[in-house]
Amino acid sequence: MVWLQLLVNGLVTGAALGVVAISFALIYATTKIFHVAHAGVYTLAGYLAWSLASRGMPDLVSLLVAILCCTVVGALIQHQLYARLERRRATHLVVLIASLGALAVIQNVIAATYSSNILQFPVPWGSRVETFGSVRLTWTQILTVVLSVAAYAGTMWFAHRTILGKQIRAVASNPFLAEITRLRPQRIYVIVVAIGSAIVALPGVLVPLDLGLQPYGGVTPLLTATIAMIAGGVGSITGAFVLAVGIAVLQNLSLLVIPGEWSIGVTFFIFVIFMLFRPTGLFAKAR
Amino acid sequence: MRQVQGVRRALAAVVAGMVLAGMVRPAAAVAETIRLGAILPLTGPGAVVGTQEMRGIQFAFDAVNAKGGVQGNKIDVVFEDNQAKPDVSVLSFNKLVDLQKVPMIFTGYSGPSLAMAPLATRKKILLINAGAQSDKLRNASPYLVNTLPSTGDEVAVMSKYLIQQGKKTAAVLFENDAAGIGGRDDFLDLFPKAGGTVLAQEAVQFGQTDYRPALLKLSAAKPDVLYVVITAGMVPLVQQLKQMNAGFLVAGTTFMADPAAIADPASNGIIHTQVQIDAPPDLSTAFKAKYGDDMDFFARQYYNAAQIMVTVIDKLLTEKKPITGENLHDTLFAIRSFQGLIPMEFKSNTATVPIGINKMENGKDVTLLKVTAE
Repeated sequence: MVWLQLLVNGLVTGAALGVVAISFALIYATTKIFHVAHAGVYTLAGYLAWSLASRGMPDLVSLLVAILCCTVVGALIQHQLYARLERRRATHLVVLIASLGALAVIQNVIAATYSSNILQFPVPWGSRVETFGSVRLTWTQILTVVLSVAAYAGTMWFAHRTILGKQIRAVASNPFLAEITRLRPQRIYVIVVAIGSAIVALPGVLVPLDLGLQPYGGVTPLLTATIAMIAGGVGSITGAFVLAVGIAVLQNLSLLVIPGEWSIGVTFFIFVIFMLFRPTGLFAKAR
Repeated sequence: MRQVQGVRRALAAVVAGMVLAGMVRPAAAVAETIRLGAILPLTGPGAVVGTQEMRGIQFAFDAVNAKGGVQGNKIDVVFEDNQAKPDVSVLSFNKLVDLQKVPMIFTGYSGPSLAMAPLATRKKILLINAGAQSDKLRNASPYLVNTLPSTGDEVAVMSKYLIQQGKKTAAVLFENDAAGIGGRDDFLDLFPKAGGTVLAQEAVQFGQTDYRPALLKLSAAKPDVLYVVITAGMVPLVQQLKQMNAGFLVAGTTFMADPAAIADPASNGIIHTQVQIDAPPDLSTAFKAKYGDDMDFFARQYYNAAQIMVTVIDKLLTEKKPITGENLHDTLFAIRSFQGLIPMEFKSNTATVPIGINKMENGKDVTLLKVTAE
C-alpha cells in the first residue's frame, strides 16, 4: 500500500501548499501585484515561531504571535512599498522588482540573524506517529491537514459571507467602480495583503515544524502555489487550493513510475500541457 | 692616531659583523606570522559540520601559538565561508591566494574541493581535505591531499560487513551531487562484488529535508538494508525513517555522524562506517571547555590535519626553505608518516587510516569493530 501512503503524504503537502496558494491568490486577484515577497513572509513566520518556542513560549502562543507579526509585516510592505510605488505611477515590472528586493532583504536578514543552518523546532510532540491502517502520520502532519483545511474554509467564509470579504471582492472585480462607491481601494489593498500574510504564516510555521527551517525555503512553495493559482483560475480560491493539492499528490504518486529527480519536471510539464488546452484555468468559471 | 684607527677598525668590524649576521640569519629566527587559509561551509546546510571543522583547526593552532608558535612563528588561519558551494569556493580560493598570499588551504566537501583542485595545480597551492570523501578527490590534483579514505574504501568495508550480517539486498538513497553520486556509484559497484544485490535507488537534492516520497519508494523494494549517502539534513532523515517504522537496517558512511542526529532517539540502530580517529580525554575536555561542544569526528579530523601542517612547516623552517605551496607539498610527502591523533601514512594523495563500523545507540556512537583499509 505504498501508493496510499504516497497519496496521503501528497494530500498533507498539498494542503499546506494550498494555503500558500489561496493567500497568494487573494493578494494577486485584488491588488494585481505579483507579491514575490510573500515567500519572505512565509519564511519569516517559521523563524519567529521558532524563536519564541525556543525561549519556552507555549507553541500555540508562538504560532499566534508569528501570525500577528506577519500580518503587520504584510501591511507594511503594501503601505510603505507598493502603495508608494503606485502613487509614483510605477509599472508592474518595477513593482515586481521591488517585491523581489523585499524578498532578498527578508531572506538575508533571516540568514544573518539565524544563520543558514537547518533549524529544528524544539517540539518533541511533533514527531509522534499515529497509525491509520497502513498509513502512518506524525502529529505535525495531522495538524497541518486540519489547520490547512480550516484556513481554506475560513477564507471562503470570509470572502463570501463577511462585508469586508465582499468589499475585497468588489475591489478585485473593478477597483475604479469601487473607488466611486467610496470603498477606498488603497485601504482594501493594505487589508488584503495583511490578511494574506496572516494566512501564509500558518503553513510558514507548520511546514518547518515538520521539515526544519531554512532561510531560502520559501521560494519553491511560492512557485508551486503560483502555478496552482494560475492553473486553478486567477481569482478562484477553491481553484488555487485544489490545484495545489493536485500538484503535490501528482508529484508524490509520480514516484511510482519515474525516478524522484524527474518528478518536479514531469509534473510541471503536465501542467504546461493542461494550460495549453485551458489557459484560463480549471475553475475560471467559478469566479 | 694609531689608537683612533684601531678603534675605527674595531667599530667597522663590529658593524660588518652585525650586517653579515643579519644577512645570514636563518628565516626561522625572524619571528613572523605564517598565514594559512581554510574554505569551509560556515553557513548553510553544511554549517554544523563546517563549524566543527573550523574549531578543530583553530583549536590546534591556538595551542601551538600559545606555546610560542612553530620555531617562534605564529600561525594565523584566514577562514572563508563557501556554504558548501563549488562556485563560492573558487571565489574564496582566488581571494585567499591572490590577496592573502596563503600557501595552503584547508578544504572540505567534495564539490568545492573538486572545483578548487585545478586552481591548486595551476597555482601550486596545497589543499588539505580532511572531510570530503568522493573517489574523484583521489586524482583530482597532485596538490590535493586527503587525510581520510575515500567513500569507496568505506563502501568496501560496509559491503563486506553487511553480507556477513546476512543483509544481501539493498536500496540506495543518495544526494544528487558529487559526494552522493560518488558514494552511490561505489555501492552499485562494490555491494554486488561482495555478494549482494541492489534493488532500487533514489536521489534527493542537497539541503532537501522531505525524504518521505523517496523513502517510501525505496521501502517498496523490500530491501534488507537502506544505504544512505547524503551529507546534510540527517535529523529530518532519521525522524522520517522512524515514522515509517521500516523493517530494514539503515547503513551509511562517515557523513552520517552528525552529532544532532546521533543525539536524536530516532537514530537508534543506524550503523555507519567511521574513519577511526580518537582524541585523548584531556584534549576532548579542553575542546569542550572552549567551545561548549564535544570534539566530534570532524573537529578531530581537522585538528589532526592542522597538526600535520605544523609538522611540515616545522621541517621546512628547520631546512630554511620558504613556506610555499610547492615546498609544503614536497615536504609532506618527504615526511610521509605522521603520528597525530592516529597513525597516518601517505602512500598516495589519500592517507591510509583505520575504518570502523559504528552503531548509533541511545545518543552515543558506539564502535562495533575496526578494519584497516588500504
